[in-house]
Amino acid sequence: MNRRIKTIISTALAATMVFGVAGCGGIQGTSKEFSPKYSSDTEYKLSVVGTYSNFESLESAIERFYEHYPNGEIEYNYLDDYSNTIVNALAGQEAPDIYVVQPWMYGNEKLDPLFSAAENLADSKLNINLDCIRQGVRWEMNNGEVLTLPVFATSYGMLVNMDIFEKEGLKVPKTYGELKETCEKLKAAGYESPIMGSNTSTTPGIGYTFAYPMFAKTVKDDRSIEADLNNLVPSAGEAMRAPLTRLKELVDSGCIDIDKCTAEIEDDYNAVIMRFFEGDVPMMLCSGDVVSGTKKRESKSEAFSANPFKYDFYIAPSGDEGGYYMDSMSILFSVNKNSTNLDMTNEFIRFLTSEKELGLMAQEKRLITPTKDYSLDEVYASLSGFPADRTVNFRDTEILDTAVKEFRAAAYAVINGEMSVDEAVAGYGSISGK
Amino acid sequence: MKKRYIIIINIVIVGLILFIIVKYANDRASESNHASIASFEKMTTTTEQIIANYLEDEQHLCDIWSNYVNESADAGTPMTVEEAISYIRKAKISPEISGHLIYIDDGSMKGISTSPNTTNPSDYSVNYSHISIFDNLEISDINGVVSLTRAYTNPLNGIQSIAVLNNVKVLDDETGAMRAGLLLRVVPVSMLEQKLVFLKGEYENVEISLIDWDGDYMIRGKSLKNSNFFEYFKSYNPMSVQEYNKVIDTIRTGVGSMHMRNSRNEDSVIAYTPVSNLNSWFLVAYIPAKELTVNRSIDWILLGIVTMGLMGLLHFNMIILLGFNRKLSVAAAAANQANEAKSLFLSTMSHDIRTPMNAIIGMNEMILRDSHDEEILMYSENIRAAGNTLLGIINDILDFSKIEAGKMEIIDVDYNFVSLLNDLVNMVQRKADEKGLVFKLEVDREIPRILHGDEIRIKQVIINILSNAVKYTKEGSVIFSISGKKCEDEPDHIMLHVSVKDTGIGIKKEELDKLFVAFERIEEKRNRNIEGTGLGMAIAQSFLNMMGSKIHVDSEYGKGSEFSFDLKQKVVKWEPLGDFETAYKNFLRERKKYSVQFLAPKARVLVVDDTEVNLKVFVSLLNKTKMQIDTADSGDAAIALFRRNRYDVIFLDHMMPDKDGIETIKEMKACTDTPNQKTPVICLTANAVSGMREMYINAGFDDYLTKPIDTGRLESMLLTYLPADLVEKAGENGEEKKEPAVVHNILVVNEDVEFLRGVREWMPAHINAAVAKSGEQALAYLKKHEPELVLMDSSIQGQAEFDKDKLLQLCFKELSTEEIISQVDKYFDEGGERREHE
Repeated sequence: MNRRIKTIISTALAATMVFGVAGCGGIQGTSKEFSPKYSSDTEYKLSVVGTYSNFESLESAIERFYEHYPNGEIEYNYLDDYSNTIVNALAGQEAPDIYVVQPWMYGNEKLDPLFSAAENLADSKLNINLDCIRQGVRWEMNNGEVLTLPVFATSYGMLVNMDIFEKEGLKVPKTYGELKETCEKLKAAGYESPIMGSNTSTTPGIGYTFAYPMFAKTVKDDRSIEADLNNLVPSAGEAMRAPLTRLKELVDSGCIDIDKCTAEIEDDYNAVIMRFFEGDVPMMLCSGDVVSGTKKRESKSEAFSANPFKYDFYIAPSGDEGGYYMDSMSILFSVNKNSTNLDMTNEFIRFLTSEKELGLMAQEKRLITPTKDYSLDEVYASLSGFPADRTVNFRDTEILDTAVKEFRAAAYAVINGEMSVDEAVAGYGSISGK
Repeated sequence: MKKRYIIIINIVIVGLILFIIVKYANDRASESNHASIASFEKMTTTTEQIIANYLEDEQHLCDIWSNYVNESADAGTPMTVEEAISYIRKAKISPEISGHLIYIDDGSMKGISTSPNTTNPSDYSVNYSHISIFDNLEISDINGVVSLTRAYTNPLNGIQSIAVLNNVKVLDDETGAMRAGLLLRVVPVSMLEQKLVFLKGEYENVEISLIDWDGDYMIRGKSLKNSNFFEYFKSYNPMSVQEYNKVIDTIRTGVGSMHMRNSRNEDSVIAYTPVSNLNSWFLVAYIPAKELTVNRSIDWILLGIVTMGLMGLLHFNMIILLGFNRKLSVAAAAANQANEAKSLFLSTMSHDIRTPMNAIIGMNEMILRDSHDEEILMYSENIRAAGNTLLGIINDILDFSKIEAGKMEIIDVDYNFVSLLNDLVNMVQRKADEKGLVFKLEVDREIPRILHGDEIRIKQVIINILSNAVKYTKEGSVIFSISGKKCEDEPDHIMLHVSVKDTGIGIKKEELDKLFVAFERIEEKRNRNIEGTGLGMAIAQSFLNMMGSKIHVDSEYGKGSEFSFDLKQKVVKWEPLGDFETAYKNFLRERKKYSVQFLAPKARVLVVDDTEVNLKVFVSLLNKTKMQIDTADSGDAAIALFRRNRYDVIFLDHMMPDKDGIETIKEMKACTDTPNQKTPVICLTANAVSGMREMYINAGFDDYLTKPIDTGRLESMLLTYLPADLVEKAGENGEEKKEPAVVHNILVVNEDVEFLRGVREWMPAHINAAVAKSGEQALAYLKKHEPELVLMDSSIQGQAEFDKDKLLQLCFKELSTEEIISQVDKYFDEGGERREHE
């Protein structure tokens, strides 16, 4: 190989390494610190509207933004009847500069103005570092536009009382086999129902939380059944067999005492957390949204205050090889492209779009960060490096709400003995309507 | 004061001033802050009034609308919803404000609006079914009060708004039935906020919030995070549940202010007040504390300037003080130098006067001894008197210099009061006799014999008073009286009252003050022929002051004076003095010319003095003792003799040229090739200033004798130091007795150590007494010595071990010293007889 070729190859390799190292820095280059684009004495007034009555993590981020632009004000407002008022608000005299969007809103004709009014955050002029967002939750439109910034992600899994596992000398199970084994040991150690959860037909309910990721993975692996599932074709119910069978197996093995769950956990949010804080539940099935409520309730639980313990969030190990990670968007921000103060609005979004800021917001809200870095909140540390082949994100499937509702109803019926797995599979398309 | 103390005090003062400044500034700032907060509270109530008035106005306008609609209904011509809205649309002026009329009787909460939907201009329908703003309102019966919703999202335009309400009765055009409706006058929150813009002028960072009973906001200040004020307060101000509830109650029930921490943990102030005419709405004004309490910060520049100023002043003062100190040091050094010079002068003067005085008095003594010519004797006696006077003057000056220098000390010892009286009377009687004055003595017989005190100074005080009395009395008498009274509070003490009364010239009252002033003499002109320094009474008064007493003077000019003082003395022995007058008369009767106390022809004495005449005086004075006296006129000559001959006693002068007495004695002590290693060496010196005795003893001398030489003292000292076997009794008139003088060696045994200490003092010269304080000690003594008599107190046990023939037991406590001496003499007299018989 002559010398010139060697030089070219080595230069190319060096360049590749440099770009590789740049990683999430993307457009910003290697610097991760926010560098204000405008003069720090710029005056501005922005409004953010959303569905949270209380959005403390955003307000903390606003405080940090004030450090760069102190002469302005960003106001967050909760909109009553959000889905009905946001569109009018966007068209009104006091239209918000930033508004909350949720994935389900896309495709809803009534809410189309939310997307049509949204700024394209991928516009290179805006210099927004979208590369730090995980690919799975980065919502890119078909035309390449990015109309929303994911602020929080969520998933389904279980809260694990780490102190119990340490006390009993156990490791958190990674596969279904390990889960069964672990549950047997825990039962032997006196834990009547090693796994608990809310016995409801809602998304944080036992059946959905444990089995839906497996169902989604089934659909991901065979997208051909997706259309029939969405059209509630009974034969498509076969896709539910494997996850429902595993669910039934879980109940039958005694890993979870459904009656106990029904008796002791009244709802799918507050009661789940407060029961978990009693300290005697090794594993509590729940959604990421439930986990987000734990932080504030630590002090409200007398049992937890008296005997605090370490807890983490894990994906429930429903598969033989391991669990399935539903990497879902929770809420997203869109910028009103008709904002009267569009520059500063984009500047705020540019500020927010970093592993640090989104990570801090997620940590404060105790939801899953949409960025690649899970390290800020150790409760979700287990999700870091989760195998991609067992991860399912919104792009992998297009299961419509109707199909989801059928699965939720089927799962609820199976664990409560209302239906056998066969009946549920056969009855697909008419279960939720019963 | 040391330099560092001055610096510390200055720093403390500077610190104190700074502290006062800071405290003053803080107090003022605190007052100012209170005023600021009061003003802030006032602003809050003013704002509340504005808001209350505004909301009342809004309610009033809403009521006008509803009244119009309801009046139509009451008049039998009810309006449909569309008609009512159409009326309101015409009646309302502000485009931002809209009216919503919704049905509440069927719970649908739906109706129509004066303004269209922002996304559909033809759509006026409004739906409140998903907006929970009526939960806390009695919407079915709103009766004349301001009914206000929380801030909510106007469903038609998405604007945050509030609404005031009233009930209306409208006609359902579809069914023709009367319907219960709710009329809402919907006002954007931003309009209300505009009413508060005026506040920005007064307080830049004030934020006004309106909260409801639960703490939910109608208007929210920028800094107040969270959707609920109380939640916000709790989040950033950790406290117990009780404290939290108290805070909520305080805000809900009154007008006032409090400090709180904001989300950045900064101190903030909130002022709160309920909004008038509105149930359960409260105005909360928030402001960062630093804006209200900006004056609280200490003016560091001013403080710095003051500090620098004070430090500068401190340094300036230090420099000035150091300058003064330097001058003072120089002055002090000069004063010390002068003082040293004075001491040296006094020492030299004392020495240089005493040296020739030794010759004068010594030689005169020889004349008195040897002359038989009455006229010469008279002259000689005058020389002696003048010499003694001169010595007295020198002593006074020395004493006064000691008192001035603070070096005079009172040294208490046990003393024999009889001996003290003897000396006093002895000295004064002669002077009185010479002036032809009657010297009368009145001594209390009950005064104890042995007392404890500074005998020398007491003697000096009384002599000074007596001498003055004699000096200033031309004719008449001097009465010297002493009485004693037991102290009641201190049973072992006696209070002596000493009085000297004369018929002299007396003292004018105006002159009395001068009496005790040093170097001041009363009626100087009149008394200029009377010798004296003017120090005597000042010294006497000083001594008495040191002993806790003072002289009292009672005088009548031209008639006489009485000087008296009371002096407390510790009693060692309560044995009464007895009839002193008789004893003294005997003493006077027996007073004769000089007679030598002893003979010691075998004794060999060396006297060393650089002044030849002094050597002559010494030799002459001791001539009658028949001692062998060698003289040396220098230290070296003395050392040569010291090495060659054996001496029984050596008298060595101190101040000599070349080798002085101290150098000489050091060399003598270092000598090994001498027969005089144990020979006592007595310092014979004219140096009589204070502290000399100790200095000489420390230098190695055994004793100390001052010049001019007092023959009596010299002979007594020789009797002390000469070996007893060399001493013989002297005969009458100094003639040698045919029999050799016998000195009896005795051993006195008594447990009373004080008694033993005084034994040698009162034992006559012919009795050489050793002492032992116990029988055992006495026996130990007897193993090495052979005293002729063991004189033992009857209280001592174990007499059996002593030789009965040599043992005399007496009860010392019950006997006077004379009686003891008498018993001892009697023993030896009888012993002589015994020996004769044998």
